[in-house]
Amino acid sequence: MTQRQWFKLHGWCSLPIWILFCFICITGTIAVFSHELTWLFNENARAVNPENLPAKPIYELINIVESQFSTANVSMVLVLEPYLINAVIFSDENIPMGIAYVNQYTGEIQEVNQGITFISFMRSLHSWLLFPWQNGYSIGYYLVSAMSFVMIGALITGLVIYKKFWRAYTQPKIRVKQGKKSLLTDLHKHGGAWSIWFLILMSVTGLWYFTQQVLWHADIDIDEHPPLVQVADVPFGDRAQPPVSVEQALQIAEARFPDLRPSFVIMPEHNRDMFKIMGGGDFIFYDQSAYRLDINPWTGEIARTKSPGNMNSLQSIQHLVDPLHYGTIGGIWTKIIWFMFGLILSAMSITGFLIWGSRTMKASKAQRLAASQHMQNEGAH
Amino acid sequence: MARRENTFWNRNKFKLNGLLLILPFYFLYQALQPSPSPDVWDDRQVGPFKVALQPLNHDVPYSHHDDWVKDFSVHLREGEVADIRQGYVNIGETAMPLHELEQDDEGILHGTDVLQHVHAIAPQFFEVQHQVWLTIQTWDGDIHQAYWSLPDEWLE
Repeated sequence: MTQRQWFKLHGWCSLPIWILFCFICITGTIAVFSHELTWLFNENARAVNPENLPAKPIYELINIVESQFSTANVSMVLVLEPYLINAVIFSDENIPMGIAYVNQYTGEIQEVNQGITFISFMRSLHSWLLFPWQNGYSIGYYLVSAMSFVMIGALITGLVIYKKFWRAYTQPKIRVKQGKKSLLTDLHKHGGAWSIWFLILMSVTGLWYFTQQVLWHADIDIDEHPPLVQVADVPFGDRAQPPVSVEQALQIAEARFPDLRPSFVIMPEHNRDMFKIMGGGDFIFYDQSAYRLDINPWTGEIARTKSPGNMNSLQSIQHLVDPLHYGTIGGIWTKIIWFMFGLILSAMSITGFLIWGSRTMKASKAQRLAASQHMQNEGAH
Repeated sequence: MARRENTFWNRNKFKLNGLLLILPFYFLYQALQPSPSPDVWDDRQVGPFKVALQPLNHDVPYSHHDDWVKDFSVHLREGEVADIRQGYVNIGETAMPLHELEQDDEGILHGTDVLQHVHAIAPQFFEVQHQVWLTIQTWDGDIHQAYWSLPDEWLE
């Protein structure tokens, strides 16, 4: 292929969808900081701890919500960052679905949110553009994850066009004073060269999201169906109550995995349902649900465990991808790096379009000039 | 290289994808303005409970793995959720026997004391002889059943 053909292919990989791509990059960049932005803009979401108190255990937070809302049914508890409140999800006679923002240090309920949270809004907007879900798939999720194909195409063709791209590391040079086009071209090339690792990471993780969507759509389970309490375990009698409390279930889980840091605790929804406890651990590359335990509330038995040690390949990929995509591996510092490169990537789609735009504008100006000169010459004759 | 003609299409073709971004705003508006739920069906006495079903929508059943299901809210007018050992909903000519229902959690009543939900086991297509069957087992082992006829609009 000639250089011109590679160049054309590079344009076709990104130009036709550049606004959409740019929007996805910007929303993803903001989503990286969704927890921090929530902390910044919503005082009620901050877990302020001036007296340096230890975090209260999850069951205590549930008790706090149940004591303040007499008919509350807690369905789930989410543990976020240490500087954010814990989210206790519940329903009540007057609250169909509420999220109690409980300060895990003071035990105070700082807000009851009954709408959309910024964190889930940003992540949904970035991941599936708010397209509705139907039978396990969202067209938006396909659209977003399919960007990985064009991103990898733009990267490969870009590297072919930009000969000796490593000079962007050894001799970086941005021509500021040689016109708009030189400046845009240099910014685009240098941004691309410095973002190679990031482009690869986003493309590969995006490809996984695409694959995951295909599997969901085809009803192929990555995780097997959650276990169900055997009917025989549910005793007959006078309005039996499961003897295992959420406190005991958490103790059982922590005894099984001593490094477990619970992030999601889901209560049984019926008498044959289990406590579902998910959390992160000492595996830094895995996400916050790398451990999962299903605990029988009638017997205290651990019906199923999942951990990085016993996952199959697809499950491992599923739990490795999010921290790599969102840059949460190393806490705030990696998030800052991901945020910066997210901005560079967004800017690259804009500079790429502006370069194309200035090229076509120039061509069309030249065409108009040639046409007017031709007409003048005709008139002179 | 062939000269590109200065047409509207050539000037704007790469901007058209931006129009897609109207959709997220439309979907957000739609999510914030949910369409009214279908009516709650008549109350039925099911043993010690008085129960009303409310379909989530009037759509046909949807596929969930190897089953077809249809979602309902279950309003317990009399009696308490804590008095139910297990409960199931299936749509068909007859109520499925409890020992069959117990094999899986498809069709099981779940949720909170405030509101119960169910992904009722359904046929792929509704027929006039189908009914919606609720089966509830209490702690003493007694089984209580009730049924509702399908709305005419589901059969059209």
